[in-house]
Amino acid sequence: MADLITINVDGKDVQVPAKIQLIEALRTYARTETPAFCYHQDLKVAGNCRICLVEVDGPRGFALAISCHMQTAPGMKVRTQVSSEKIVKLRKGVMEFLLVNHPLDCPICDKAGECTLQEHYMGQGRHESRLDDATGKQYKGGADYRFIDAKGQDRGGKMIDLGPTIVLDQERCIICTRCVRFMDDVAKSPQLDIAGRGDHAYITTFPGEPLDHAYDLNTTDICPVGALTAKHFRFQQRAWLLKSVESIDPSDALGANLVIEYNNGRVWRLMPRRNPEVNKSWIANSTRMLYQDLARNRLTDGKLNGADTTLASALASALAALKAGKRVALVASGHLTSEDNAALLALCASLPGQSEVFGGSWLPVGKSDGIARSGDPVANRKGVALLGIPDNLDALAGRAKEFDVLVVVGHDLWGAAAAKAAALESIPTRIVLSSWVDASVAKATIAIGIRAWAEVRGSMVNINGRVQLLQACPVVPNAELEPAWKVLAQLSAAGKPFSWSSEIDGWKAIQARVPQLASLSYRSIGPSGAIIPLAPLPAAAGV
Amino acid sequence: MAKVVPRPQLSFWESIYFVEIFKGLATTLGHAKKNLLSPDNFPTLNYPEEAPRLPQDYRARHRLMKRPDGTPRCVACFMCSTSCPARCINIVAEESPDRHIEKRPVRFEIDLLLCVFCGYCVEACPCDAIRMDTRLGVMSGDNRRDFVIDKAKLMDWDPKDYPLTDVQSQKAPGGSLHQQALEEFRSGTYH
Repeated sequence: MADLITINVDGKDVQVPAKIQLIEALRTYARTETPAFCYHQDLKVAGNCRICLVEVDGPRGFALAISCHMQTAPGMKVRTQVSSEKIVKLRKGVMEFLLVNHPLDCPICDKAGECTLQEHYMGQGRHESRLDDATGKQYKGGADYRFIDAKGQDRGGKMIDLGPTIVLDQERCIICTRCVRFMDDVAKSPQLDIAGRGDHAYITTFPGEPLDHAYDLNTTDICPVGALTAKHFRFQQRAWLLKSVESIDPSDALGANLVIEYNNGRVWRLMPRRNPEVNKSWIANSTRMLYQDLARNRLTDGKLNGADTTLASALASALAALKAGKRVALVASGHLTSEDNAALLALCASLPGQSEVFGGSWLPVGKSDGIARSGDPVANRKGVALLGIPDNLDALAGRAKEFDVLVVVGHDLWGAAAAKAAALESIPTRIVLSSWVDASVAKATIAIGIRAWAEVRGSMVNINGRVQLLQACPVVPNAELEPAWKVLAQLSAAGKPFSWSSEIDGWKAIQARVPQLASLSYRSIGPSGAIIPLAPLPAAAGV
Repeated sequence: MAKVVPRPQLSFWESIYFVEIFKGLATTLGHAKKNLLSPDNFPTLNYPEEAPRLPQDYRARHRLMKRPDGTPRCVACFMCSTSCPARCINIVAEESPDRHIEKRPVRFEIDLLLCVFCGYCVEACPCDAIRMDTRLGVMSGDNRRDFVIDKAKLMDWDPKDYPLTDVQSQKAPGGSLHQQALEEFRSGTYH
């Protein structure tokens, strides 16, 4: 922990770290709610919305200062809205300026319910507008405000198509420049800018250019109003009707933290979840769109030689095949949780002398983009390695003739490298556990549907050695689908069966195998994950 | 917290039962006499031949109000379904081709079997799009699906059934104020 200093907030001394933004100190340490529109924890400070004004003691007495642009210093004296009427009045005034040209279309605005402006208006503004048509209120939604520029680009007004993913509503914009700063400093692709001056200023792209960055949807999250909205979620649901569970990005080894938002038996969107040590507040567009796959092309039942069958009969066939199998090759998957892979190891142990576990992936590893993707598409590669599963898929392809049963779990081998996987087709019985009807399911003799990443609870280890949890969203395409570990536990009836009652048993099995994890539990990992201790903690003696 | 309801303290004449019985019979006979002497004011209706006289503010089956061009006034804001205690309103929204309206319902369904006719949806509506003034107090159907009424059925009403003082209804297609409203609508001055 950084050095703590003492500052005085509203007459009370508070211990805060030195040289952090005053607004953070107020929010986190002094527990004083401080509104902000332009300030964002993961962006550079701009200080243009002025709503976070507080009074700070200086050489000429208490003077107004914006708390987002001021750093904490020892002995600082601060007055907030709690002790200063002036601040209350000022914030109301600032709010009035922000709302001068803001439309009252909250009922049809997708941001309503999670809108910072709405929140603070209800909290402290609540005034009647003093502007109307006669006194010069600009309805930027009006037809006369809209124009097409020299490059044919739609400028001004509402519902402006900014690019493939985003719609802009300039009437709602309060020019906080969060989106501009995001594109400049985080995405490093300055596609957005402010044009015009004063109350004619508006956010726009360069003439004829779309907003089409791989991270541009983050601007819709950080937009404090409903100016930038995502096309894929536009008008789908109201924010307050959604329920959420916390999970992580299953498509990348960084494991960007996210929230699955669902209701009425459908997942509607994935939102980034702030974790300063993993993905800050950002997720890639590709990660965000993964929710669409949860309801698309799912393997909801079993398949026998390509023909549809029930889960139970597919499971019975798989069980019979495992019983009859002399040499069984089990393929672990970095796309599944560590618990699922521990179940695969337990299945291997329940078929002693008969089975062998293989691991690895044939998917190409890309480069990190430095924001929220590491480039490695195998999310739990580290977790699989930690369990002691070798990276030897190529060896399996070479030794395919030795085996008569292949069990592939949540791993599209044929989809990743059909040429390499062709060698595996010499194995007569190929059992594939998959969430989607993919290339491997097409090549399988027995396919069993399992739950997808959003529907299971478990842990994954990211590329930096951080254990992170996935929580189960209750939306499942078929209620009879089970997580992979449960199916594997049922398959273990072919040998010496093991039975786990929940993922916790899986976690215990992992801990038994990986001593570094002994000190961690689901609770201590928590929503933000935990770095794996290098060595097991020494047993506390005499405590 | 449990509420304690005090038991009524009965007097001696009340507690012996017979006096109260005859008092009750006297009331019944009084009504019988009144109905026999003035049959025009007989309170029982010959339903269904005779329609019930519903009060002006009776909360009956819903209807969706219309703009002069016949589209629903509803902007699919979900305020009604959010405030609905019975969760009987199901809305699916879509983008409206009219940039000034922006959002419109592609589906708007009310399950009348779930509805408790509380009127919260009418209160919540920011644009007077849903009303419960149809005076349709009695609904019938052969199966449960018949009681889920969709957008078309909610908009199937005639301005002639509503008083001329009901301006919003009269501005809808077929209403007495429709032509004027349609011109305002086309010129963009309609509210």
